Amino acid sequence: MSNEAKSKWKNVVDFPANVRKSIFRNPLPSSDRGRAATSFSNFFLHIQPVRVSRQALRPTYTMGLGLISFFLFVILTVTGVLLMFYYVPSTTQAYDRMLDLRSSVAFGVILRNMHRWSAHAMVATVFLHMCRVFFTGSYKPPREFNWMIGVALFLLTLLSSFTGYLLPWDQLAFWAITVGTSIAGYAPLVGKTVKFILLGDATVGQEALLRFYVLHVVVLPLALSLLVAVHFWRIRKDGGLAKPEEVETEPPVEVVVVEPEPVLAVAARSAHAGSDRRFSLQGIVRGTFVKVDKLNPDTVFSWPNLLIAELFVLLLTIAGVMAVSLFFNAPLEQPVNVMHPPNPAKAPWYFLGLQEQVSYSAFWGGIGVPGIELLLLVLLPYFDRGKAGVGRWFARQRLLANSLFLICVIANVILIVIGTFFRGANWQFVSPF
Amino acid sequence: MGAAPRTIEGREHRSGEEQIPRRRFLAWLSGVGLVGSALAGVFSTFVFMKPRATYGQPNRFRIGRPEEFPPGARIAIDPKRVCIVREGNKVAAISTTCTHLGCIVAPSSTGFQCPCHGSQFDVDGNVTGGPAPKSLSWFQVTLTPNGELEVDKDNEIQTGTYLSV
Repeated sequence: MSNEAKSKWKNVVDFPANVRKSIFRNPLPSSDRGRAATSFSNFFLHIQPVRVSRQALRPTYTMGLGLISFFLFVILTVTGVLLMFYYVPSTTQAYDRMLDLRSSVAFGVILRNMHRWSAHAMVATVFLHMCRVFFTGSYKPPREFNWMIGVALFLLTLLSSFTGYLLPWDQLAFWAITVGTSIAGYAPLVGKTVKFILLGDATVGQEALLRFYVLHVVVLPLALSLLVAVHFWRIRKDGGLAKPEEVETEPPVEVVVVEPEPVLAVAARSAHAGSDRRFSLQGIVRGTFVKVDKLNPDTVFSWPNLLIAELFVLLLTIAGVMAVSLFFNAPLEQPVNVMHPPNPAKAPWYFLGLQEQVSYSAFWGGIGVPGIELLLLVLLPYFDRGKAGVGRWFARQRLLANSLFLICVIANVILIVIGTFFRGANWQFVSPF
Repeated sequence: MGAAPRTIEGREHRSGEEQIPRRRFLAWLSGVGLVGSALAGVFSTFVFMKPRATYGQPNRFRIGRPEEFPPGARIAIDPKRVCIVREGNKVAAISTTCTHLGCIVAPSSTGFQCPCHGSQFDVDGNVTGGPAPKSLSWFQVTLTPNGELEVDKDNEIQTGTYLSV
């Protein structure tokens, strides 16, 4: 065989290996250098730092709540896109399509169940994640802005869930949205206009269904995705997950201004001395410099430690959603009858605390108190700036802040429980027992 | 180039003095333009989103001849969300949309009762109990040339204003 033929044959033999090498620049790492390289040479892994603190990996510290919320969002996106293939946002067809999902669409029931239960779960995990961040003091500087993004993500999650609630066009959906949008109508000055723009009409009807559909499948998911990206990016730029001060020795983020050399000068120099060390300007991120023999003992390599932890949480999330979806069917009541509201007409559970408040005072319960709570949430990290007790659950130094927040959480949970279980016909007090 | 360095230097210097404010002005103008476009875009999006014509049921509709409502009748027309009240030869249309959260109130012996949050109203729609913040609206009723009653839900009138037929 000639040399040419040999090299051609070699290309054929090496084809699988060459393809693999062209995709994965890095072989499976066997050294620290390789582990570091894996984290920043892979698009999906470069979101993560090369090394991650042991604290961030402790399940009892984060409980993986943020990650679970993200995975639920992924599940919601996938199942939601699949459901879109069969759904029609029309008052005459939507309900029939729900029945079709049950009767004639392969995996229709399980997909709808997964979508519904993931949506409920995401509202819960996003809220619990917020509680975790509060009780560990992780919202304090330099993470104040990320806390604000988190609050926005919580609101977007609620809105996504709320807009999706109308789409099956059954009695539950119709009256929950009628009650929910009326609460918006109580906002001063703009309330009536906001309600009208949201519904596209005076009452909940075809226009509202179409609007909620567009918000639910395009506007809100896009906004959520964008903010989730910023939220994740800021975690690293703000120095990773919050750690107790004694562990956190490195200074907070500083903008290091590096004047790049003129390109021509560098090129000229490297042309003269080929072995010149050249540096490229990469992102300067705190805590990710890997110094040989000077590894921080409180950190471990992300590959494989963080990756395994993340995949494990993903597995748990999918398993949980699947288990619930296999055993419990998403509710579907009678088709919409605008003449006969169910008695009592209840909003989705996460708004039942609001509805309970509204039954005492429409303005204060629906707009005033929630507005003040939201304002406090947003302003909190700009006024509670002490470093003490950060990075630990229920630190004694944060007794006052944690107690106040806990009281607010418990009050809201009690209101939701009352609204869900203790309110019957005409919103009279009833005993569920 | 090297022939008249002073001239070039001088020209640069002179034009530099004018250029910086001009650049700054252009930058300022561009900034105002961008922010202005963004604000105008947000505003026009909301204008666009607010429908000029709705596709639902019309707010002005006919409900039939006065004879169909005998004196003393209180007939709720749920699809239209109004209750037609006739006392003697006076006719009025009272909203059956609860002023609390938009549920449909049902006529009862004492007036109206809301199934959602327990608001109660008297026969004229005034609040007698529950969380409703204000009384039920009264809508203008007119007699069309061919003798039919027409309700205009865009036209709220004072409680207790009847149309004589």
